Amino acid sequence: MTDRRRINGPPSGTRPAVFASSLNSASDIATGRPQRQRQPNELRKIFLKTGLIPSASGSAYLEYEPSASLAAARSSPKSLIPPSSALKLACTVHGPKPLPRSATFSPNLVLTTHIKYAPFAARKRKGHIRDASERDLGVHLETALRGVIVAERWPKSGLDITITILEAEDDRWWGDAPDSHDAPWGMMNVLAGCITAASAAISDARIDCLDLIAGGVAAIVADESEDGEAKPKLMLDTDPAEHKAILSACVVAYMPSRDEITEIWLKGDSSKALLGPDDKRSGHEALLDGAVDAARGAHSVLAEAVRESAERFAGLAPGGGATQ
Amino acid sequence: MAAQRQASSASQTPHISPAELSYLYTSLALPGSPIRPDGRSATQFRPLTAETDILPGTNGSARVGFADGTQAIVGVKAEVEKTVVSADALKLPQQTQEEYVGNNDGEANQGSSSGHGSWVQMSIEIPGFRDDDALPVFLSEMMREPLVESVSSEGSGNGEMTGGLKGRLVINKRWHWRLYIDVLLLSQPQSYPLPLLSLTTHLALLSTKLPKLKSKGEEDPFFDDDWDAAEYLYPRSTSTASATPSQQVRPPVTLLVVSVGENIIFDPDREEIAVADTVLAVSITRDSDSDNLKLVSIRTIDPPSRLTQPGVPNSENVTTLGSTAAAEEAAILNPSTGEEEVPGVWRPRRGGVKRSTVARIVKLVLEKGGVGEEVLEGLEGVQVG
Repeated sequence: MTDRRRINGPPSGTRPAVFASSLNSASDIATGRPQRQRQPNELRKIFLKTGLIPSASGSAYLEYEPSASLAAARSSPKSLIPPSSALKLACTVHGPKPLPRSATFSPNLVLTTHIKYAPFAARKRKGHIRDASERDLGVHLETALRGVIVAERWPKSGLDITITILEAEDDRWWGDAPDSHDAPWGMMNVLAGCITAASAAISDARIDCLDLIAGGVAAIVADESEDGEAKPKLMLDTDPAEHKAILSACVVAYMPSRDEITEIWLKGDSSKALLGPDDKRSGHEALLDGAVDAARGAHSVLAEAVRESAERFAGLAPGGGATQ
Repeated sequence: MAAQRQASSASQTPHISPAELSYLYTSLALPGSPIRPDGRSATQFRPLTAETDILPGTNGSARVGFADGTQAIVGVKAEVEKTVVSADALKLPQQTQEEYVGNNDGEANQGSSSGHGSWVQMSIEIPGFRDDDALPVFLSEMMREPLVESVSSEGSGNGEMTGGLKGRLVINKRWHWRLYIDVLLLSQPQSYPLPLLSLTTHLALLSTKLPKLKSKGEEDPFFDDDWDAAEYLYPRSTSTASATPSQQVRPPVTLLVVSVGENIIFDPDREEIAVADTVLAVSITRDSDSDNLKLVSIRTIDPPSRLTQPGVPNSENVTTLGSTAAAEEAAILNPSTGEEEVPGVWRPRRGGVKRSTVARIVKLVLEKGGVGEEVLEGLEGVQVG
């Protein structure tokens, strides 16, 4: 018996009406795409602060500088839709804490990583239950961190790392139809941010690590230049909204003092990259080196944030407070 | 269960003693020529049996079994589905709107002509794991990613596969195929199941056939019900003599590579992966423009050697020193958590991989006559259809 007492909506979702007047001409869409204002090897500014969540043993908050197009759109609004988004995430570390009695013996620190997008983080709402891509990110982060933490100093203990993504990077410009370059490129920027923030939070929790590990992204993008020819170029710290076609991208988690990588996630076709004339590297090597360079940049911010955290800790420690 | 949770990314931590681990590591890290437990050379693969088209109810299927008894079955099913045009895709450029003014449903967008990555769905069933455990999720993402990624450029020898697999799934502007790839591992994984699953998926996709399309253009799709007339998802060369296999688009293959010391070892088994410094999954496919192979993706996998138990050197051992006090004293003198390595005493691996090692691995895989070529040729040799 169907419910006749109320008027039900259509069983499947509906789409909001798109009025012809709001459909701008093709040229207007092209100008609406945010332009990259930075040099190919220039990174976005990173805001990183530790210790913002007092109940956790370590925490960090990370934010990328919003693209210049956002400020321009705010001052002279043409559309209600913001042209680009910038990463904002919070990371908490709980532990090391004893494992529950039911758990089996472990000679090492047991690391658990959770990455969760807030429902409002992306342009499309995410559910409250972690989906496959969020689990996948969690495994990537775990791989990156497990190589850094000196795990055998905490036998029978657990460490929980929880990351909430408050604002995610776009996978492409919102006006683009999903096409052959529709791979989730924004996820790679998110992962790099997660690695950097988690490293700061772990240091804030004073857990022994081999080095501060930083995440970096590089991509080979094929933007059409003036002569209409697509020239694949290497760029660091790409914002996917600013590029028409990303051919391949790479994230690394990099330890500068040991010159080692604990996590690589490279995908896409990197063989078409046009490097300098005297550059003998193949596309994937150049991509990897680019991502390492980006990670080195993030590392300087990370070191500063960890120094602040250490100063705060020294001030709080009994007897060790020079600020008294 | 906890042990499984812990070893989420790589396979379960094997129960091998620190002494055995150290022995394995030393023999695998021998400069120049590693000695593997089963006597293979560094680039040799384990023997396997393979057959295709075993499930009549699927569009394509394959079974691969390793000699250690692990078997995987892959079934590929295809469904016709209506292409959903999202609201933002309606913001189409003007010229296409004029072009399709005849069928003014406004569904002509450029996006649908090149396919969408979400049209390929992959699920992996591994006994002892829930579907939302990290291992199956990570494995399916790792295998799906290169599959939808391997876009061949226009102007390749094979006009039918423009746009790679995603382009092949497009029927017309309003309809497309949805591909379900279901992977079933029939026994508890003895080693990291990635090579087995990847080879099986490759063979299943090679044997996948789609019904022949009878309708034309923008009509609702209508198919030939003669299964013999069906076309392969990855088209065969019509004249085998003229077209070299390298000119055809082929599904990617993911190879599992480990590095131990200075050595690089392919297709590691359980014991070898347990002592590896680095574990990499490298996906390759044939480049449709040239004879070479091309790299589609690299992912690091968490090596289980990070979770192993350390060995205790004699200088700190209670049994060898005679008394606890002496052991404690020794532990203060040379703390075990220090960086120095005692030869013959196992330490869990720490740190990561050097860039030069990654470059060497990729070179070994991609070079002419290298491992990647050998694997792809071997798979081509399996009788399909």
